[in-house]
Amino acid sequence: MPPGPFEIQVPRITFLRGPNMWTYSSVLEAWLDLGVLEKWPSNRQPGFIDRLLSVLPQVAAHHCSPGVPYGFEERLRDGTWMGHVLEHVIIELLELSGLEAGFGQTRETTRSGTYRMVFRVPDETVGRTAFDAGLQLLHAVINQQPFEVEPELAKIRKAIDEYYLGPSTAHIVASAKKRKIPHIRLNQGNLVQLGYGALQNRIWTAETDLTSAIAEGIAGNKDLTKSLLRSCGVPVPNGEVVHSVEAAWEVAEEIGLPVVVKPRDGNRGRGVMLNLRTREEVESAYAIARAEDPDVIVERYIEGDEHRVLVVGGKVIAVARGESAWVTGDGQSTVAELIEQQINSDPRRGSADIHPLEKLNPITNSVIQGNLQRQRLTTESVPSTGQRVLITANGNHAIECSDLIHPDNAFTCALAAQIIGLDIAGIDLVCKDIARPLESQRGAVVEVNAGPGLLMHLKPAQGEVRPVGDAIVSHLFPEGQRGRIPIVGVAGSDGTTPIARLVAWLMQLSGARVGVACREGLFVGARQLERGDCAHWEPGQRLLINRNVEAAVFENDPMSLLTEGLAYDRCWVGIVTDSKPVPGLDEQLMTEPEHRYKILRTQIDVVLETGAAVLNADDDTVLEMAKLSDGDVLLYARDGKHPALLAHRESGRRVLFLEDGFLVRAHGNAVADKINLSRDLSPAAAALSHEVLMASIGAAWALGLEAQLIRTGLDTFGTVQPQTLVIA
Amino acid sequence: MELKQTRALRGPNLWSRYTALEIEVACTNDECEIDKLSGFVDKLRAICPGVADLRAPGYHGPLTMAHVLEATLLALQANAGCPLSFSLTNATPVPQLYQVIVEYSEEDVGRLALTYAMQVSQYVFDLCRGEVADHSPAPDVAAMVAELREMDEDNRLGPSTGSIVNAAVARGIPFRRLTSGSLVQLGWGCKQRRIQAAEVDSTSAVAETIAQDKNLTKHLLHAAGVPIPHGAPVKTAEQAWEVAQRIGVPVVCKPQNGSQGKGVTVNIILREQMDKAFEAATIAARGKGPVLVEKFFPGSDYRLLVVGNKLVAAARRDPPQVIGDSKYSVRELVNILNADPRRSEGHATSLTKISFDDIAVACLAEQQMTPESVPEVGRRVVLRNNANLSTGGSATDVTDDVHPEVAARAIDAAAMVGLHVCGVDIVVENIMRPLEEQNGGVVEVNAAPGLRMHLTPSYGKGRNIGEAVIQQMFRQGDDARIPVVAVTGVNGKTTTTRLIAHVLATKGLCVGMTNTDGVYVGGRQTDSGDCSGPKSARNVLAHPHVEAAVLETARGGMLREGLGFDKCSVAVVTNVGEGDHLGLNHMHTAEDVSRIKQIAVQNVSPNGYAVLNAADPLVASMAPHCPGKVIFFAQSPTHPVMVTHRARGHRVVYVENADIVLAEGAQHHRMKLADVPLTLGGTLGFQAENTLAAVGACWALDLSWLDIVAGLKSFNNDIKGAPARFNQMSYRGAAVVADYGHNPHAMRALVAAFDAMPAAEGMRRTVVISGAGDRRDEDLRQLTRVLGAAFDNVILYEDACQRGRADGEVIGLLREGLEGAQRASFIEEIRGEFIAIDRGLSLLKPGDQCLVLVDQVQEALQHLSQRVEAG
Repeated sequence: MPPGPFEIQVPRITFLRGPNMWTYSSVLEAWLDLGVLEKWPSNRQPGFIDRLLSVLPQVAAHHCSPGVPYGFEERLRDGTWMGHVLEHVIIELLELSGLEAGFGQTRETTRSGTYRMVFRVPDETVGRTAFDAGLQLLHAVINQQPFEVEPELAKIRKAIDEYYLGPSTAHIVASAKKRKIPHIRLNQGNLVQLGYGALQNRIWTAETDLTSAIAEGIAGNKDLTKSLLRSCGVPVPNGEVVHSVEAAWEVAEEIGLPVVVKPRDGNRGRGVMLNLRTREEVESAYAIARAEDPDVIVERYIEGDEHRVLVVGGKVIAVARGESAWVTGDGQSTVAELIEQQINSDPRRGSADIHPLEKLNPITNSVIQGNLQRQRLTTESVPSTGQRVLITANGNHAIECSDLIHPDNAFTCALAAQIIGLDIAGIDLVCKDIARPLESQRGAVVEVNAGPGLLMHLKPAQGEVRPVGDAIVSHLFPEGQRGRIPIVGVAGSDGTTPIARLVAWLMQLSGARVGVACREGLFVGARQLERGDCAHWEPGQRLLINRNVEAAVFENDPMSLLTEGLAYDRCWVGIVTDSKPVPGLDEQLMTEPEHRYKILRTQIDVVLETGAAVLNADDDTVLEMAKLSDGDVLLYARDGKHPALLAHRESGRRVLFLEDGFLVRAHGNAVADKINLSRDLSPAAAALSHEVLMASIGAAWALGLEAQLIRTGLDTFGTVQPQTLVIA
Repeated sequence: MELKQTRALRGPNLWSRYTALEIEVACTNDECEIDKLSGFVDKLRAICPGVADLRAPGYHGPLTMAHVLEATLLALQANAGCPLSFSLTNATPVPQLYQVIVEYSEEDVGRLALTYAMQVSQYVFDLCRGEVADHSPAPDVAAMVAELREMDEDNRLGPSTGSIVNAAVARGIPFRRLTSGSLVQLGWGCKQRRIQAAEVDSTSAVAETIAQDKNLTKHLLHAAGVPIPHGAPVKTAEQAWEVAQRIGVPVVCKPQNGSQGKGVTVNIILREQMDKAFEAATIAARGKGPVLVEKFFPGSDYRLLVVGNKLVAAARRDPPQVIGDSKYSVRELVNILNADPRRSEGHATSLTKISFDDIAVACLAEQQMTPESVPEVGRRVVLRNNANLSTGGSATDVTDDVHPEVAARAIDAAAMVGLHVCGVDIVVENIMRPLEEQNGGVVEVNAAPGLRMHLTPSYGKGRNIGEAVIQQMFRQGDDARIPVVAVTGVNGKTTTTRLIAHVLATKGLCVGMTNTDGVYVGGRQTDSGDCSGPKSARNVLAHPHVEAAVLETARGGMLREGLGFDKCSVAVVTNVGEGDHLGLNHMHTAEDVSRIKQIAVQNVSPNGYAVLNAADPLVASMAPHCPGKVIFFAQSPTHPVMVTHRARGHRVVYVENADIVLAEGAQHHRMKLADVPLTLGGTLGFQAENTLAAVGACWALDLSWLDIVAGLKSFNNDIKGAPARFNQMSYRGAAVVADYGHNPHAMRALVAAFDAMPAAEGMRRTVVISGAGDRRDEDLRQLTRVLGAAFDNVILYEDACQRGRADGEVIGLLREGLEGAQRASFIEEIRGEFIAIDRGLSLLKPGDQCLVLVDQVQEALQHLSQRVEAG
């Protein structure tokens, strides 16, 4: 091996935002130029494998092509190239950072020593961060330099935190995916659109399009919440707002000890003091609460554990019981140290989104301070060996107990959410035993939370994970709804624009407001929004985000498929017109017909099982794609005697062809319709090529449009010009 | 004048449908002779203008301080701008004790006005009698009125909420304020909706958060093809300038999450301007989000109001400005403008005075002017770069000028963000042409927009926004009401209420019910205790599950606070008899009681019904007071009232040949009375009457006869189903009945029921009884007088709740009633209800009959059940 240092060159990095020739989801694609390393695969570099596995041991276990655990280690020992190694390194780094990456590929290009390496990643910044880290790691291993993995992982995690969905939202999105409901992220945060166009619903973590803003305001006002709940018979602690320490004690005596003292507007339990039994306790608690809010509430202390009941769409979905946090003295450590050792060491505690529990800071947390004070301790006290010290009584919801809740209590929680007006609510309920009715044990609902945290149900300390995401998705999309508007995609290079326009015209005749993204511009209904080439990912996304769009047609040119991916995840109808070469593919090192097959097949790969592919049988490469469709296949060709058409009809399926001046639609042996090409077409339609007509009518047929409607469409195409109100 | 008592009547009441204060005042002899004080009214009016005639038209009695208080209280509130008109003074049977009733629109304002009215009245009285020292100052009525006015402006609904509530009221939709702020419930029970200022409950928090984020909003609007000013968030002044150059000047610089135009600089062209603008925006942003630089659209500011998918109003918003005339300085021009009487200091009018502050001076400086500059004729001088009404800007209605394409973009913008009531801010030269033609666009989308500029624009036509919002929330013709049945009367209210609720529930409705035992919703008890007042009624009508309400409406609540609802579908009056609770609140006669019970009848909706007992003359006489129709019921079909009503083709319910009959014209429905378990095979006459009343109510709600029959047949009257309502039990071969009856009328009905029960040879009757302390002495004696004639053994016990009477006093009165009793031969006094029950049971032999009149209903019934079970 020649002397180093060696460096892999990266001439190009592209983030493919939608389905692409590699996979159904977004990927980062990097071109790697290995240089001299082309001659030095893994098994030829002395000590490479051992060094790699010492830095990143987990990578050995990857299945890789052998498809079994440690398949990748086998490949390493047999000898594999550095691009492939980099792919596995990045995937491992992503997984160690908490993402399910799971997919990658590395393929040699027509240029020797240059590879296309891709890996699945949901966000570009996260992908680039992971790529940089992986490349640095690989360079270090090749060049025999030391490498620290942990700081790199921290960078990737930070990128995930900042740019990717939080864990709760990611969980809901995963549930949507399970139901085959598409999603689009609308911002860098957790605002996500489920479904497309007019059928979308938005979520922002645990808030939805159905979460009333007024209801959130009510939930934020504890007094109002309590009075509304009480008026409908939901048990709540009696209490009053006070503005002086004297009044606090007066009210405490009036409603009876023990009491709770808390700020009217507080969050995460800040300034809340429970179970106060003496005047001194009430007075000092008042001061603590007063620091959070000038309005302080004194109310009856409800004995028992705090439970968080998650209500979604009128049903109780999950119940978690609060766990009190204690430390046990060892005769040496201070309380602060014991908290560090016995509580904060819990890996579930941390400050990031992925941590279900917060780290406890006894210095800044007034609740802990108050609790310690009542045990006549401070953070610096040293409890004797075996002495149990209560740190927080509630506030850690971790013990899953959904199956225990008494039906009356479930009824009460659902009612509480409805009274406030929330579709998704976290009800805080205090009682000794959730399995018995509240009334029998003087339990009460103490708070109703809008936009409740979901992590406690997703990562409980004990018990099963609850299907919270499934419940939220079902709430927004009842059984049978998938939020999918009819989508038609047109790929190829010949006549794809007129096909898109004609299909859209036919669809809009059926009453839908149709969006079109094509080379001639961006259209919604009768209006043109944009001039110029809109056969791209970004204008396509605009249609899917637009609430006015009830159906959409997308023109996808091969270059856009190759460099951007599709704007949509699945479609009802996918059309491929031809596999002719287009400018730019050579420069992309995609020169061969099989390359074009690989690019264009994406359009057919994403056809829904209930949808159909419409393929030009006169192009062998396109015809080859018939086997890729999850749904039906319609073929068209100029000659009705085309063997593929004959075979297709033989199997009882649909074809289109030309015969004696007619465009014939045939279903199996039967002729469904014949369109007279010289009589039945509007001038604009008559000016179109026969292939364009066949593809468009095929798509309309696949969409289930009536024959009469198709005829009317052909007779009227081009007679109405879209209103052009494009921004100057 | 001594103020004895003040009550806020918050619903329809004895006096009127208006909210009113009912004040009880005691006057001295002198205070009852105001007529003797010369010039009283003039002196009063000199201090407190607007006082109306002290003597109401048609009143010829003496003028008292009570009348003075009435007039003053009304005048003070009216002067403060409260819209009201109703007041009256009523002499009570107690000499020199008066009730003064004065309408209020805001309770707190009314109460404060009362304090002031007392002061003012007293001062004028003293003044006329020469009892005021020369140096002691007259009450400062102007200051009082100012304070009341301010309080009223704070308390009453703001203009936005007010316009929506008014539109709801015009539609007949009931409303209730849930807070002292602008949160309002429209409609009842399961049909209720909520609004808060110009927000409706269907608007999501997600949409409102999006509207707050200008960048995100722009992203979404751009997707929908709505023209927006392109731009970018920036972190430094350098970045800001880079962006400005990229998108092209002129640009705007502002905080991304700002409000009310704070820190916004427009029309930035030069680098120095950008530096200043960035600093201003940074300060205004206060770390809450970045600063935004975006394309500046030339033209005027327009606010388009979209409700649902309609454009309902549009206003051009002009910054405070003056037009030069080559004569006056800018300062003088501003003064001339501010002299316009439509310009005030506050928010109440359509224009606000232009304030000549530092911002105005700085703004002039940008135009190379000072306050003393004299602009030439026709020159427009702007005094502030924003058009907010509160800083002197003006709003001109342009609703009818908006080009349909512009309206379409505004509607698209609202829909994209997801707002149902949405203020879309557009900047464009000409609102009558499409935005796309002239480099205009949407610069902001506002959730909960202020409506004032559309309701009362500075110039042009006001728009009925409230109606548009109501149309968006409720379908045409939907008044968001649920069926409400109010049941009142002296006896049988609770049983009738339960029976009606049961029939409705059997039909599958979620029924909210209030009665003297508690509140029940869908069969679940949500409150306990005596819940026959307006508060419980309001609670039921606010419960989101409730599809129909049956409300026992007792006298106490109606007197104390009025009704808990504005109108009911059905009012049932079971009976008045000789009255109950006589002697309280100046209610001495059965006629008085009847007037109170009539409140429910008076407030029946015009398409509703009163269900009245034809056999009770006082109840029957309420019929003309019902705004809707009347259903009469009586055991006998031949009662003259029944015969007449039926002859006229109206609805009647009666018993004939042991059948319950429902008749309207030629139509009849029948069922056997004996099939109603409540009547014990038809033997309990008073239960038969309750059944007739309930049947009438259900019929009034247009329930089918089959539904009514099914409900009557399945109604269970045991301790669980109807506690203390003639619950029959068997104890060691003796018949035991528990009941809550507590007035002579009820006693007679109970005795009649006992007489109807089969009697064994040598049967003896025992009664266990106490009495409530708040009855008249005579009524208490009457209880035992009735019972003494029908029972052999009488166990008297002391009530747990003496309601103000001394120990032993009630028992003494009950004993007096037994003097000379025809049948009672054994009388015993006992302390404690449980002991009394045990003692009563101990006297029973097989075949005997025993009536236990319980007081602490739940506890006593539980005790009795345990004893009976133990046998």
